[in-house]
Amino acid sequence: MEFFKNTHIDFMKYRLMWAAASAALVVLAIVAIFVHGKLNIGIDFAGGTELIVRFQDAPDTDKLRAELTAAGIDDAQIQRFGDADSHEVVIRTPLDEDAEGDTSELLAILNANYNGEPAADGFDLNLGGSDALADYLLGLDPFELRANDEALAREEYERAAKLVLGQRKVTGLFSGWDEITGIDGLEPEIATALESKAQIGSFAALGGGFVGPAIGAELRMKGLLAVVFSILVMMLYIWVRFELRFGVGAMLAIVHDVFVTLGLFALMDFEFNLSIIAAFLTLVGYSVNDTVVVFDRVRENMRKTRRESFVDTLNTSINQTLSRTILTSGTTLLAVGALYFFGGEVLRGFSFVLLVGVIVGTYSSIFVASAFALLWEELTHRRQGGDSHASKSNGGSKKSGGKSGRRAVAS
Amino acid sequence: MSSSLKWKGLFILAIVTIMALSAWPLKEKINLGLDLRGGMYLVLDVKVEDALRADRGKAIERLVEEAGDEGMTGLETEPTGDTSFVVRGLAVDKDAEIGAIAKEFLGEWEWQRRGSELAFDLKSDEAERLADMAVRQALQTIRNRIDALGVSEPVIQRQGLGGTRLVAQLPGVDDSERVKEIIGKTAFLEFRIVDYPLGGGGVASEEQILANYGGTLPANIEILEGDQKDDMGRTLSTSYYAVEKTSSITGRDLKTARPGLGQYNDPIVEFMFTHDGGQRFGDITSNNKGKGLAIVLDHRVVSAPNIESRITDSGIIRGQFTQAEVEDLSMVLRTGALPAAVQIFEQRTVGPSLGQDSIDQGIRAGLFGGLLVILCMLLVYKLTGINAVFVLSLNIVLVFGALAYFGATLTLPGIAGIILTIGMAVDANVLIFERIREELRAGRTVKSAVEQGFGNALSSILDANATTLLAAMFLFQFGTGPVRGFAVTLAVGILASLFTAVFVSRWIFDMLLSRSERVERLSI
Repeated sequence: MEFFKNTHIDFMKYRLMWAAASAALVVLAIVAIFVHGKLNIGIDFAGGTELIVRFQDAPDTDKLRAELTAAGIDDAQIQRFGDADSHEVVIRTPLDEDAEGDTSELLAILNANYNGEPAADGFDLNLGGSDALADYLLGLDPFELRANDEALAREEYERAAKLVLGQRKVTGLFSGWDEITGIDGLEPEIATALESKAQIGSFAALGGGFVGPAIGAELRMKGLLAVVFSILVMMLYIWVRFELRFGVGAMLAIVHDVFVTLGLFALMDFEFNLSIIAAFLTLVGYSVNDTVVVFDRVRENMRKTRRESFVDTLNTSINQTLSRTILTSGTTLLAVGALYFFGGEVLRGFSFVLLVGVIVGTYSSIFVASAFALLWEELTHRRQGGDSHASKSNGGSKKSGGKSGRRAVAS
Repeated sequence: MSSSLKWKGLFILAIVTIMALSAWPLKEKINLGLDLRGGMYLVLDVKVEDALRADRGKAIERLVEEAGDEGMTGLETEPTGDTSFVVRGLAVDKDAEIGAIAKEFLGEWEWQRRGSELAFDLKSDEAERLADMAVRQALQTIRNRIDALGVSEPVIQRQGLGGTRLVAQLPGVDDSERVKEIIGKTAFLEFRIVDYPLGGGGVASEEQILANYGGTLPANIEILEGDQKDDMGRTLSTSYYAVEKTSSITGRDLKTARPGLGQYNDPIVEFMFTHDGGQRFGDITSNNKGKGLAIVLDHRVVSAPNIESRITDSGIIRGQFTQAEVEDLSMVLRTGALPAAVQIFEQRTVGPSLGQDSIDQGIRAGLFGGLLVILCMLLVYKLTGINAVFVLSLNIVLVFGALAYFGATLTLPGIAGIILTIGMAVDANVLIFERIREELRAGRTVKSAVEQGFGNALSSILDANATTLLAAMFLFQFGTGPVRGFAVTLAVGILASLFTAVFVSRWIFDMLLSRSERVERLSI
């Protein structure tokens, strides 16, 4: 199957329109970010506490927010996490300057609201860790081992605790006693003792933590440096490998891609965290990659057909690489799409950036990078009176100007 | 087959075999990051100023003591910074004597007279050495505690050279609050004589103590607080004790500590002194019979029993503890005190179920994405597509092999990186195949078209991949943890795709074309 065989589309005919449209897109994206009011900055950069909770029953986020407010936490941010039927939410709270974060306060509030007053000698199988469970079993001593052999008792109960909590790992949350009595290799005495004394709470903490303000500021700085430096270095790379006009075009394409993607990203309310920076850097890499392939062809064609005008060379090159551009974007989109739809909640924002980035990056390598390279050419050389092509022979394709002659003969 | 083709084939086979073997079985050979296997990640900051202040305190004490022996009494001292203090109340003509004392006992300190004061400053390289030692001791102590907790494969490192931060990665930890408690506990144990109330016990308010001393505390006495708890370990009220400021017996003098049961079957900590510590403890207890002995942990009184007789070798700590508390307490006492308090700067916990979910979803996305890409390549390039699919599979083997070979850690973003490379790795193939098609259209023979296709596409492939590699480099440089994992898989994936698409794919073409002299058609 060949998509584009010998196409002759005049991509550059409406270059001014494309340039204007792209600039408008960027402006629109910036406006969108400001109108929307905020980027959803994650705790990586803002600092703060985060707790991921899975409930037995579908949680009501408004009710949850009210409960937290009632307990004195009024600036919590509550979002659904994962599919609707997974009953998961993520709760984030900002952190005071210099405070040490702690998720136990949030857990205590949830406990009071969803599990009621715990029994004095109880143990919540959905919240406790395996060491704590081992201690608890040691206290219950269903094997009646302690009187004879403390060490053996400890060993036995630690093993049993690992078994029980190993089972919790499967679902993240026990929802009934049959899940515990049905554990392979677990003695009925243990299961019975737990069923009579312990509880199965109505939620479990799947993960969480906090980032202190100092670390947050540091990660912000590092993220910013990574983006700025990589864009600079890529510009430099293109400038060295190609010519200034291409470098300018490629850089504008990067800026375009980053802003347009960022605008959509903000509108979707995804959390902006460390891995999003990674996604944006990858997007920059991909965008340049796509642009480079087109420019590489332009350079090659300029060597071969010295008579053609710059605009014709651009058009020919874009048409020649069109098939590749579409196909590579296609396969990358397939992979990133799979990641977006099946990769899970943690990677959702990350793959969204790449998904949008691949589409925008493909568009920009033709309509932004090439169009602006041409506009730059026209702007800087109109004054000298020559047509756009004349410049090429004196501006020269730097590196391979001399070599191209020989090549043409050889091939 | 020409011999160069044979050698190339052997070379490819060797590399692929090595990589496949180093990655197989995947479950054992690939290091999973904490975000996939579950566990706890901690960044701690060692408050080195604690250690510096402790050193400053000792210096002041020493100076006052030695000066007192020389007959210079009534000195007033005041700390002016973590590594500096001033002494007042000394006449100028005593400077030479103080200088001699400072030279002998405070060798690491510099001093000068400033008007009516003597200003002492710790030499800066000595301050650096103390700070560095505090961080190293803290690292060792925390290592010991984590080992005692039984965490498997923990990684505990100092962040950067000369920094005050420690990073701990603790796989499989499912009770983050307890671990935080244990790691963060300074566990500085002291035994101090209680001056008031006589017999220990404590009183309900500070005023009561002050009243006993007529409003002002003697210079060698300070007030410490302690909790009164009920049987369940819940705090009922606070008690106050007037205790001597200095203590000659600390946690360092313990040989061992372990949990035990007291006479009412209540959980207690039993400890044994070292030989030297036991002797000093014997002296103190025999000199202070009838008084209270405060057991002070991190500047809070745990209990203050009455000294009934001379004690030399062992003792118990009783303080309405729960079983879990005495276990943790005896553990931190065994592993020793932290030289300075630590503050937790960052903590991330991933439960095992969340990690497993991520792995499952990653595999699902990878399989689905890979299948779609394969279908796409077969559809577009027909039989030649098989070539691309084959090298793509090799590419994935190489990525996992390289991860295992270099001991890199696979994180969730790392999985995303691999899936992304599946999509991007075919780019090199696409560039080459499109070029071959063009050359065929231009009327070349199959053999020449393949040759030209590879040759002409190479410069594009190198330029294009260089930029993505640059991005990966910056990510690695500035990223932390999981993001680094992404950078690594992305970079490895790109390098592997260069090898497979340019070298291996070419070899397959050459193999096929070498079979017959003239190939008329290429299914592309």
